[in-house]
Amino acid sequence: MKLTVFFGRRTVNAALLLMAFLSIGCGVVQNPALERARDAYNRARQDREIAGRAGVALDKARLTLEQAERVWAEEKDVTEVEHLAYVAEKRIEIARATARRRLAADDIQQLNPQRE
Amino acid sequence: MNMISDPNGELMPPRIRPFRAWIIASLVVLFAFENSGCSTARPPTEILSRAEMELRAASEARADEFAPMDLQSAREKFERSKKAMAAKRYEDARRLAESAQVEAELATAKAEAELTRRAADDLRIRLDTLRAETERGPIPASSPASGKE
Repeated sequence: MKLTVFFGRRTVNAALLLMAFLSIGCGVVQNPALERARDAYNRARQDREIAGRAGVALDKARLTLEQAERVWAEEKDVTEVEHLAYVAEKRIEIARATARRRLAADDIQQLNPQRE
Repeated sequence: MNMISDPNGELMPPRIRPFRAWIIASLVVLFAFENSGCSTARPPTEILSRAEMELRAASEARADEFAPMDLQSAREKFERSKKAMAAKRYEDARRLAESAQVEAELATAKAEAELTRRAADDLRIRLDTLRAETERGPIPASSPASGKE
């Protein structure tokens, strides 16, 4: 069954063009807060100190980031995505601080035998 | 039984179509209703109490001293969350409580990192001093440390 029989060629062409435009638009539209959080996460993941010493904390950040990406893809809820991106960034900072603490704890561990 | 045939030639009971339409319509209405129910949300009491717990943990970790800005921001958001809760703005209350919680966790993490770093630095200084003293020669008073030269 041809759509052009019912709607006319012009209408069908216009509708197809609109659909193509919308689908391209949906793929491209980005959220700056989400982008920032994703960049911060990727930087932290590539940092061996953080990935090695604060894997669990970094995993929490990843889960929040994935949640933000899901909300953005499915609902485009800007307020919620910005909130989740903010939480993800804070979780990345927590991972950095955790890595710093573990590094200092390792220093103490290494210094301790020298006392005896 | 009185049956009609659909375009595919299958036999169907005559009243099934309107009945099916009603079921679909009521499912759609139910789904929409449920979804709108979700977006109005319930009071985020659990998240708020978790935030309060993290704030307490941050105070105990001496975040007032070592991460004052993060702790201050967490406290402010916690207060705003309580106000939003009282005004029945539950979505705002939830977001603020979640932010307060993660900021308090960050304050704790920063304070603990700083305290551990200081402990490591103190230990290093003490060891350096001890090493310098042993290199200079034995101390006249009784020294428990083993003289390693």
